[in-house]
Amino acid sequence: MKKNSSIKINVPVLARVEGEGALDLTISDKQITELKLRIYEPPRYFEKFLEGRNYYDIPDSVARICGICPVAYQMSASHAIESIFKTQTTPWIRAMRRLFYCGEWIQSHSLHIHLLAAPDFLGFNSVIEMSTQYAKEVNRGLKLQSLGNDLVALMGERSVHPVGVKIGGFTRAPDQKSVDDILQRVIEAKQDAIELIHWLDSLDLADDSQDFVSVALHHDLEYPFNEGRIISDNGLDISIDEFEQHFREFQVEHSTALHSLLNGKPYLVGPLARLNLNAQQLPDEIKNIMLSLQAQFPSKNMFHSIIARGIEIYYSLLEAEQILTNYVPADQAYVDIEVQAGTGYGCTEAPRGILWHRYDLDRNGCVTKAIITPPTSQNQGRIEEDLKNSLINFGLDREKQALQLHAEKVIRNYDPCISCATHFLDLKLIRNGRTELASANTSKQSHSLFNRFSHVDLLETAIVGIGSPQPNDMHGWQVIDALKNSPLINALETQGLSLIKLDRPGVNLINSLAAYKHVLLIDAVKQPLMNNSFILMDAKEVQSSKKQISSHETGLIESIELFVNLDLSPDNILIMGVSRIDNELIKTVEKLFENNLHNN
Amino acid sequence: MPEQSNIKPTIAVHKFSSCDGCQLAFINLGESLISLAQQVDILHFAEAGPVNTDATVDIAFIEGSVSTKEDLSRLKNIRENSRYVITIGACATSGGIQALRNMQNTNEWIAEIYASPSLIESLDKSTPIKDHIKVDIELWGCPISQQQLLSAIRSLLLGVLPKEENDKVCMECKRQQTVCVMVTKKQACMGPVTRTGCGALCPHAGRDCYGCYGPSENINGHALANRFQGFGLLSDEIARRFLFINSNAESFKQEGLHWKNESKT
Repeated sequence: MKKNSSIKINVPVLARVEGEGALDLTISDKQITELKLRIYEPPRYFEKFLEGRNYYDIPDSVARICGICPVAYQMSASHAIESIFKTQTTPWIRAMRRLFYCGEWIQSHSLHIHLLAAPDFLGFNSVIEMSTQYAKEVNRGLKLQSLGNDLVALMGERSVHPVGVKIGGFTRAPDQKSVDDILQRVIEAKQDAIELIHWLDSLDLADDSQDFVSVALHHDLEYPFNEGRIISDNGLDISIDEFEQHFREFQVEHSTALHSLLNGKPYLVGPLARLNLNAQQLPDEIKNIMLSLQAQFPSKNMFHSIIARGIEIYYSLLEAEQILTNYVPADQAYVDIEVQAGTGYGCTEAPRGILWHRYDLDRNGCVTKAIITPPTSQNQGRIEEDLKNSLINFGLDREKQALQLHAEKVIRNYDPCISCATHFLDLKLIRNGRTELASANTSKQSHSLFNRFSHVDLLETAIVGIGSPQPNDMHGWQVIDALKNSPLINALETQGLSLIKLDRPGVNLINSLAAYKHVLLIDAVKQPLMNNSFILMDAKEVQSSKKQISSHETGLIESIELFVNLDLSPDNILIMGVSRIDNELIKTVEKLFENNLHNN
Repeated sequence: MPEQSNIKPTIAVHKFSSCDGCQLAFINLGESLISLAQQVDILHFAEAGPVNTDATVDIAFIEGSVSTKEDLSRLKNIRENSRYVITIGACATSGGIQALRNMQNTNEWIAEIYASPSLIESLDKSTPIKDHIKVDIELWGCPISQQQLLSAIRSLLLGVLPKEENDKVCMECKRQQTVCVMVTKKQACMGPVTRTGCGALCPHAGRDCYGCYGPSENINGHALANRFQGFGLLSDEIARRFLFINSNAESFKQEGLHWKNESKT
């Protein structure tokens, strides 16, 4: 019935999986009709609670935005505030800041390559699995990561939320012995980094070239860390003070991270953008290695980002080697500052791309306004654009599992970092109105409490969660989410059972249910249900129990009554009214359907 | 812990509102992470790969503070599924730096940052895990250190509760023979009221402690604040010393609010 009807299925706000990302994807008639990368990390209001705080608290405050790239936050903030105070730092401080940043790039890139991205390309779920077959590569990566951490700690005392930074420089200069020890390790790691680059180049990365704009800092004399102008490959060349005139942040409905656009269009920041724009600033040693690679830069293949990270690790090692070799301890690791009022800007190259800060200070050095634009909010528009293109190139008629892995790969490739970790993706794919979800293993149980759904045709059977994005009205959706973690339900899904979420369907319920003969309808119940978390009832009894199920009183019950009366309703509808979600509820749903499991 | 059996203990690492820095205590373990994975079964740890939010485990580690309504039901679920619940870091243990918003009108803030405030779901306050469920062990610190983490896991694997570090940072400075920055440089050091565990990093580097490990036991915050006043700090500056990374920890909160009110009069 109504084969081509377009069914609108909203995915709940709450699919905030561990504060991380989710993707909504709808494919109808071989076209992507909906695609949203949703980020629901709850906001932490840094820009607001910085107001009223003294300049000297800022480096320690903004570090807490990100555990993986605290150095970037401390550096952008320091430069911004020093520009207000008109502080002239020394060449020694400048060199030490680059060294500090080398450490962060090495640790962050190594972490991304080995723990987050490589398992995708090699077909593993995690680095732990991967380590059984790729012990050498994993150990090499972990060693690089730990060297990066130790370089950060050399200047910052610890690698996460370093304490060594102050406005005007560092609290102290490292002693010569620590410098010599770590220099030795840096020299030894260079060969590892070269091998890493070639290994990354040998991975089977998809070829997925796309048209996009790269944006990065550019400095005439060096590969950019702390200083430079903001440039793009379509002609942008501005000082960091002019950022706000060209880049705009705006809110999108599906994300707590503000999106940022360059002249109204998405753009790319991060390792690939940096390398595309700054390859000429690299030492010949690296240029020669790059010539020997299959991957050539500048590149429009987003998957070359992982190779760009490898190249930047090697660059950071060479830079660190040079700074450490020429190291002379300074008597004072900072310059004195003169507090004054004003507005200042800082923009540095975080591992994931340009991190732009603006501060307004009053004459006591207290913040009156702060604006922070992190790399991931800048990349978010680009990620969605990339997903659309690469999924089409990949083929929309592919298996659900393959589509999901490819989408996750595309997203992880950007190393998105809203509060630094959106590394797990919950993909919900809706193709021609039918929800498909990733399959899992099977398990079986015996016995059945109810027989309404025993031995039904699963292709004609659906579990439907009804809700709305209001916190007390999500039970229907939450049950569907919880069922996704049930191996049994997952197994049934692979055999045709549908799991669907609906947003206040009203009389459109009939369209949504048209394809099914057997339906379990799950909805929130307003009243507490004594000691039970749920009640089950036949749709035909609904009229008499109307007052008990009422969260969607203007729609659901009336609709069902209507369908029953018009004889349009599926043969078999059971309603589950939910007051809270517990294990018993999930077990009950499992029992309702368990007889349908076929052992293949 | 399951003793005398071949079944490996199971763990989960959950994230709430946070920066991920404490999860790095696991991820930065390097080779020890791989060997840890051989001793225990990591059933849920989204950042490192395994995902199973509803896993029943022996130890659940929780990073991050509670800041949305939805967090509350997640927490109940975790408690029901876990034998031991361990909070890791300042956010989970005291509400973290984002608890600074507890003293403000969050709705006004949302309105200033987001064009469509109605789309942002967030509670008024950022609160620690223990406000909502029973917590068995607290690991303080912003961030926690690998040593804290490993010693907690090892203790539990051996069947004993981990020893709680609640000495003051001053004690650690004395043990390391670090020169006192408060005595020699008149810096407003929080060491006398802050719990150790960091290794007295800040005074060791020549700067004032800023309390990222939270209050130690039986502090005399008022005496310290008076000393800060003697150094010339204004009331609101004193307030901000206490109201920072652990502003929602009771003893810091009390002292901080006292000086905050003082600055208004």
